[in-house]
Amino acid sequence: MTTTGYIGRRLLQIVPVLLFVVTVTFVLINSIPGDPVRILVGPAADAAAIEAARAKYGLDQPLYVRYVRYLAAVATGDFGTSIHYGGVAVTEKIFERLPVTLLLLASSFTLAIGSAIPLGIFAAKNRNNGYDHLARVTSLIGVSTPSFWVGLLLIIVFAYYGDLLPPSGLVMPWADPASVDGATSRLDVLTTAASHLILPSITLGTLQMAAITRIERSSMLEVLNKDYVQLARAYGVSERTILRRQAFKNAQLPVLTVIGIQMTTALGGAVLTETVFNINGMGNLIITAVRAQDYQLIMGTTIFFAIVFVLGVLVVDVLYAVIDPRISYGGGSGE
Amino acid sequence: MSDSTAAAGDSARTGGVADADERSAVSRTSQVVRQLKRNSASRVGLYVIGLVTLVALVTTIDADLFDYQFAATFWYHPENDPAGSTILLPPVGIENSFGTGTWAHPLGTDHRGRDVLVRLVYGTRIAVQVGLIATGIGMTIGTVVGAVSGYYGGWVDDVLQRFVESLYAIPFLILVIAIMSAFGKELGIAIVGVSITTIPVFTRLIRSQVLSVREMEYVEAAKAAGVRDRHIIFRHIIPNSFAPVLVQSTLQVGVNILIVASLSFLGFGVQPPTPSWGQMLANSRQYMIVNPWFSLWPGLAILATVVGFNLLGDGLRDAIDPRSND
Repeated sequence: MTTTGYIGRRLLQIVPVLLFVVTVTFVLINSIPGDPVRILVGPAADAAAIEAARAKYGLDQPLYVRYVRYLAAVATGDFGTSIHYGGVAVTEKIFERLPVTLLLLASSFTLAIGSAIPLGIFAAKNRNNGYDHLARVTSLIGVSTPSFWVGLLLIIVFAYYGDLLPPSGLVMPWADPASVDGATSRLDVLTTAASHLILPSITLGTLQMAAITRIERSSMLEVLNKDYVQLARAYGVSERTILRRQAFKNAQLPVLTVIGIQMTTALGGAVLTETVFNINGMGNLIITAVRAQDYQLIMGTTIFFAIVFVLGVLVVDVLYAVIDPRISYGGGSGE
Repeated sequence: MSDSTAAAGDSARTGGVADADERSAVSRTSQVVRQLKRNSASRVGLYVIGLVTLVALVTTIDADLFDYQFAATFWYHPENDPAGSTILLPPVGIENSFGTGTWAHPLGTDHRGRDVLVRLVYGTRIAVQVGLIATGIGMTIGTVVGAVSGYYGGWVDDVLQRFVESLYAIPFLILVIAIMSAFGKELGIAIVGVSITTIPVFTRLIRSQVLSVREMEYVEAAKAAGVRDRHIIFRHIIPNSFAPVLVQSTLQVGVNILIVASLSFLGFGVQPPTPSWGQMLANSRQYMIVNPWFSLWPGLAILATVVGFNLLGDGLRDAIDPRSND
């Protein structure tokens, strides 16, 4: 099968997955007890005002009608309006918050991948000596620590006691200098943005870093024990060349899988990190939406996350084949 | 072939296979146990798990062993204040603006004057119960779904795989939050929610195992002998994929304990006054400056417990698969 054919088939498979996600979220969200309209209009509103608001948001229709309408709307890219944010389109709210979360994710993944891959290779190279043990204990603690706790400790140490970095908020590097506190130039904005980004990125990136280090180490070890590497050693090829030329690339497939899996974990982690650091990103948006029982907003953000995720998985799968040409684009291994 | 001869062939052919399986399974198990005993890291893991499980058991059986709610009653009835409790005390021997820590509260007190150590001890229940039970349920369902999916292939596989991908596609924390909001912030619901997020992990694992086991000779032989599919799946395919499932389950308990803590931290977990580690951390946020100790203990408890399960899981993997890299 050709690459395009494969991608096409995978894109088709996404349709039932998203349909299922929409259905599950719709059913779940509509099972949440309480009445969003009452929250919206307040306790003082009379029956007529409540009915008017209900009709305005289409909540006076039976559930199946709302479901069909919602499906039709989502298919055209319309995620409805947010009750909590006074009728603003859900997509508008998402795209307002998205850059914040993307910046956070990009920064934490850069940190995680940038430190984990050298660390993993280093540990594998120094197998079973002190450095290896140190790297392994560090990554063990990393995968076992609740990220939000790391965040709290970082705030205590670096923001309150050290007074080095800000404990909350995020400044976008492309923000207008006039809108940023104490900034007069682009450079000021950039340094402020960086200082705000450090603690949240460590908080969110710790788990990713630890998980990637673990897989990088074991994957490198596995490759370094392969016959062809042993043969190269026997021929007197230097260990450095072996690591660079022969082992590294072949060891990256499992690493890529773990990075892919970490994407979904990171989205959950973003919710926690944004809560700890009071960052107004997608994670905070979802939590606000759930607290306010803003049906459309919860569904919109969840479905949006799902779309990002399935597309991400698709990209990882295609990357697989780029890294390892042995992988064919055939059906599953069962066919 | 008539039914009776099929049945006879079934027992005759698979009987021998099962015996052989069992014998090798026993020697494999003792070998794995020997390996585990020699590995000091997994011994530490076992001790931690043993301690935490024991604490959880004792506090579940006797919920009134310590009065973990006393300050909750104090909150509503100040006259019940036991021995003039002080809020936000630091650990023994350390001083902060609220006073000096005493042995009465070895790890200090929380924002309502409740003993932090006692609440940590009671918080173990939620973590261990959800961790173990949810992993058990998720593993069972995930394993069966994965085995059926891999064994039958075709449209069954297609449908089940799309289902599993959908579960993967919703960030699991958000899925559990939605479930808790919809059906109630109770222990049972938390267990169900976390179980659901656990299913796809095992489905994927088992399915890939099944795809390789399916082609093995003894499975072919059982099929040829007319053994029923259900029998092949539950008696041959699942037991043969047991080792990686065991490793994954142990690691997954750790992951699930982290999910429960996150859930409580965000306020969507089991509700106060029932103590949980995540909720204690959420409470501590407001008092980080005045009493940072309060933020330290619950995190350490979570870390130690999850490290325990990860150490055992890693040890099991090494013991089961001698090729792995340690």
